[in-house]
Amino acid sequence: MRKISLFIILISMSCFSQNKQLLYNFTSVPQSMLTNPGSDVNYNWFVGIPLLSGFSANVGSSSFSVYDLFANNGVDFNTKLRNVVFSTSRNDKVVMNEQLEVFSGGFKLGDWQEGSYFSFGMYQELDVLTYMPKDYAILALDGNKDYLGKVFDMGDLNARGELLSVFHLGYHKKVNENLILGVRGKIYSSIFNVTSTKNSGYFYTILGTNNVYDQVISANGLVQTSGLTNYLENYSGNAQSDIMKKTLLGGNLGLGLDLGLTYYPKENLQFTASLIDIGFIKHTKEIESYRYKGYYNYVGLTPDFVLGNSNDILDEFNDAIPLDTLHTKYTTWRPLKFNSSIQYSFGDGRSSDCNCSGGTENKYKNAVGAQLFAMTTPRTPLMALTAYYRRQIFESLEMKATYTVDSFSSKNIGLGLSTTIGKVNFYILADNLLEYKDISKARSLGFQMGLNIIFPDKNTFD
Amino acid sequence: MNKFLKIFILSILFISCSSDLDFNQVNDLKLEPVAVANLAAFDIKASQFVIGGVEQSLVGDVMNFDVFSDVDFSKNLSRVDLFFEFNNTISRAYNISFYLLDDNNTKLYTIPFFVPANTGSPVVISKTEIFENTKLDILIKTKKVGFVITMLPGTPLTDASVGNLKMRSSATIYFLAQ
Repeated sequence: MRKISLFIILISMSCFSQNKQLLYNFTSVPQSMLTNPGSDVNYNWFVGIPLLSGFSANVGSSSFSVYDLFANNGVDFNTKLRNVVFSTSRNDKVVMNEQLEVFSGGFKLGDWQEGSYFSFGMYQELDVLTYMPKDYAILALDGNKDYLGKVFDMGDLNARGELLSVFHLGYHKKVNENLILGVRGKIYSSIFNVTSTKNSGYFYTILGTNNVYDQVISANGLVQTSGLTNYLENYSGNAQSDIMKKTLLGGNLGLGLDLGLTYYPKENLQFTASLIDIGFIKHTKEIESYRYKGYYNYVGLTPDFVLGNSNDILDEFNDAIPLDTLHTKYTTWRPLKFNSSIQYSFGDGRSSDCNCSGGTENKYKNAVGAQLFAMTTPRTPLMALTAYYRRQIFESLEMKATYTVDSFSSKNIGLGLSTTIGKVNFYILADNLLEYKDISKARSLGFQMGLNIIFPDKNTFD
Repeated sequence: MNKFLKIFILSILFISCSSDLDFNQVNDLKLEPVAVANLAAFDIKASQFVIGGVEQSLVGDVMNFDVFSDVDFSKNLSRVDLFFEFNNTISRAYNISFYLLDDNNTKLYTIPFFVPANTGSPVVISKTEIFENTKLDILIKTKKVGFVITMLPGTPLTDASVGNLKMRSSATIYFLAQ
């Protein structure tokens, strides 16, 4: 029970990047087309079992684990919290991504010689990224008394979060024997969004001369929200039906594009690349944003014994750095993901009497390759490098093992299995397997699973 | 063939284990930051005690100070130290009072200071007043503060008199949030 609750907490609390190193180019799983619309897939048609076809969650944080904070080891929680805060840097991040496919499907166009496919679907996505607000944490834990001379960086507050639904329609075509190109159009419907990624400013206290301290605060902060105003104050509606409406294109809308390709320079050498979520969302409804901007050199009360024109420090502060509530529209860009891979295949996987499969992929039993993943963030992009091995164990069972190095872990081993029994395809992919020996100490975990019904491609004329 | 799959799923869901965790520890969270900030400062020239050739032996000012009375602020306070430092280069002595006042200008608390006259070497007087426990309530009720400066008898000051009476002060605020 503890494990399950922990897993749920991990998923709901702190997940990480959207690197799907196991799913990427794992073409026996139709959902791999969501990571590359130009995947070299092979089916006549498929349909995802509604709500069960694709679930993925990535869990982790770049600097600390659940164990560091919540270990039942007799150490005072506040001590553990301090240790975590002081061992992190402002570039450490806690990131969460969860996707649930509501429906999906795809079919091959034209006759057996055609190499064109349509695929479509809808999924719900939760995406959160927050950097460690280190200087704010220091102020909350210690205050400024022991930090005279330190310049607290107000830009340490950097976070974004969004719940959205995505409707997509993809097309991919085998241009020639060596090249497959794919494109996917997306409509985003944002259920809620919180963005505060462009904060700047500073706060410092040093010893003064005429005053005890020289204290300066310069702030330029902005927190934008959409889709939340109804719930911030007295709300009388039905949240469930509201969210349903927003899911079904009733939210703040946006457009996006995925591009991808698969190229075979040689029969057993494959190169792939994709750009996912080249897109934006225009936030026009239910907007409430807060801006905090100004400069204040705080000298304290200055009594005026001659004229009586003394100051009022609260008024002074509110005039210098006013907190404004705004209702202006804003646009957010979706985190752009780049994937690329190079793969070398070997070992004859054809049955001895006939070459029924025909597709380039299934000719070989084994493949080794390397993948590169990058994702835009409010600061430096996230990067991950993966080496992998793929093997067709049986005709109906395919395996992919990965070794990934990224900012969350340098020894992330993952394993994915996809099995097709009859027409039912089941896949399960999990990374950071080494961490499962003590899940509470894991800094990142990724997990994907799903069920599809696939009618295999007939590459021969009946 | 499903053996592989079963082993895989089993290994993930059941063979994995977790150290003993206790999420209720969040309730032990205690934040005890200590903040320092200016409180007030003034710098009065000796000549400013003379208006139209007449020496002003009593001056004062009352200011709004609605800081500690804020509910969100006061409920997390555990102690406040007020520090004052006077620097007198005028050849006269002063009695100075710092008053904590409520909305109706009723005195809640007085911090008195005696600043001796300057006789050649600079006079520096400092004092720290600590507010905690029930004494903290006085600060929380405070809406205004006032300074009253009484110049004690001595060699009369003129427009040409030199020297300053300087004051600077700060607050050290101990928070306790849990």
